[in-house]
Amino acid sequence: MTTLVRAEQEQTGLGFTLERVSLGYGRDLVVQEIDLRVVPGEVLVVVGASGSGKSTLLRALAGLLTPVSGRILAGDADVAGTSGERAMVFQDDGLLPWRSVRRNIELPLRIRKVGRRERAAAAHAWIERVGLNEAEDKLPRELSGGMRQRVQLARALVASPRAVLMDEPFGALDAQTRAQMQRVLLDVLRDTRATVVFVTHDVDEALLLADRVAVLGGHGVRTVLDVRGTADRASLRDRILKEL
Amino acid sequence: MKGGRGGRWSWPVRVASVLVAAGLWQVLTATDARLWLRFDRLPTLDEIAAEAARQLATPVYVLDLLQSLIRILTGFGLATVAGVAAGVALGRSARTRDVLLPLLEVVRPIPAIALVPVAILLFPTDEQGIVFITFVAAFFPIAVSTRHAVRALPTLFEDAVRTLGGARRHVLWHVVLPGILPGVFGGLSVGIGVAWICVISAEMISGEFGVGYRTWQAYTLVDYPAVIVGMATIGLLGWLTSAAVELVGRRITRWLPRGERTTT
Repeated sequence: MTTLVRAEQEQTGLGFTLERVSLGYGRDLVVQEIDLRVVPGEVLVVVGASGSGKSTLLRALAGLLTPVSGRILAGDADVAGTSGERAMVFQDDGLLPWRSVRRNIELPLRIRKVGRRERAAAAHAWIERVGLNEAEDKLPRELSGGMRQRVQLARALVASPRAVLMDEPFGALDAQTRAQMQRVLLDVLRDTRATVVFVTHDVDEALLLADRVAVLGGHGVRTVLDVRGTADRASLRDRILKEL
Repeated sequence: MKGGRGGRWSWPVRVASVLVAAGLWQVLTATDARLWLRFDRLPTLDEIAAEAARQLATPVYVLDLLQSLIRILTGFGLATVAGVAAGVALGRSARTRDVLLPLLEVVRPIPAIALVPVAILLFPTDEQGIVFITFVAAFFPIAVSTRHAVRALPTLFEDAVRTLGGARRHVLWHVVLPGILPGVFGGLSVGIGVAWICVISAEMISGEFGVGYRTWQAYTLVDYPAVIVGMATIGLLGWLTSAAVELVGRRITRWLPRGERTTT
């Protein structure tokens, strides 16, 4: 068993606690004094209209944005800057255009000084897992949108982060590719204990992926719904749409 | 719209263009043409060819050529290292901008060749002075292009590396340095051109060897065929070094979409 696989099995998801958190850019507050708890290991999907602060919230959880006020805890520690424990998946993929698919996926391991052989093995395993065998040596510009998001997903998960923060990763994909990527994601998430915070404006996508759904609006969290084991998806959907 | 590709006619057309220009030169000089421009004092192609053949057989020509090459490679090499380092620091650090930018902006408009008197006073040998002039000439285009390239890098790449656990040094190594290469090579292309202008001019003013010195010496001795051989040598060296920079740049930035790569 490689150290990476062992690390993945031992790793538990990272919980988040937001206490009276306000977020914004300059004087404009996007989110005001919200309280929210993200349970370790759950998939929390954040939905909301454009401008409701979904992406801003995610950037704050990643440590890319400092709150104007309030506290964000990742586990027991304050979020102060970025960390490899909290990997982020972006809508505009963020793949480094000069690195091949394999080298993009290897990057988090290279940062952690994992040896060349182990790095290559881990990257290869993820390339197979997300179905990119034929594209291993291709550059990002040679890939379709769906393939690029597969690479991004593999790159975010290869070093077994304790939380994965996904900012509308399938927002720019066509309906068919989007459905395909949702299946890939569900498949991948089954084997990971990482906490997932997933931002989307698509309620159906939220219901498909989430353990809980948080609805943002009016500068705050309007409601948080537990959708696990709820058979009546239609009424859940209506409730979320009403809150939006 | 970007220029189209010439296809299979590209090279024959390029060769024909040079041949036509050479033919025109021969006609104008052999007939001692005195239009508004005077060609009667310029040597014909066969006189130039004879002089080139004579010079190629002497060690002085090769030594001059090597001397100029060593000067430009030293000055340009130092300018590349310093220019990229300064450009990255200026692009990424507000403190560095505050300290360095006013100084650089004052020195930048001064043509490097105007620094010859200072170089003569400053350095113990002419040789070092010439390398310094070449360095200054190439430094600014490289530093400015690098700075612009750093500022034009999408922040998304940096955010991605940071959320994958990368520290500042990882961002620098994995994002900034590879990401700025297209811009840096733009600066290097300009830099090598101005470096040649300055190394030749400095050699003409204060050199004891080198292609520039030899060309100017030939002019003062009224040896016009040797002047043209010197000019052709400078042109050839400039073209070869520029082509080398372009070639390395193209190879290193193969990841760019085809339309954004440099083509010669």
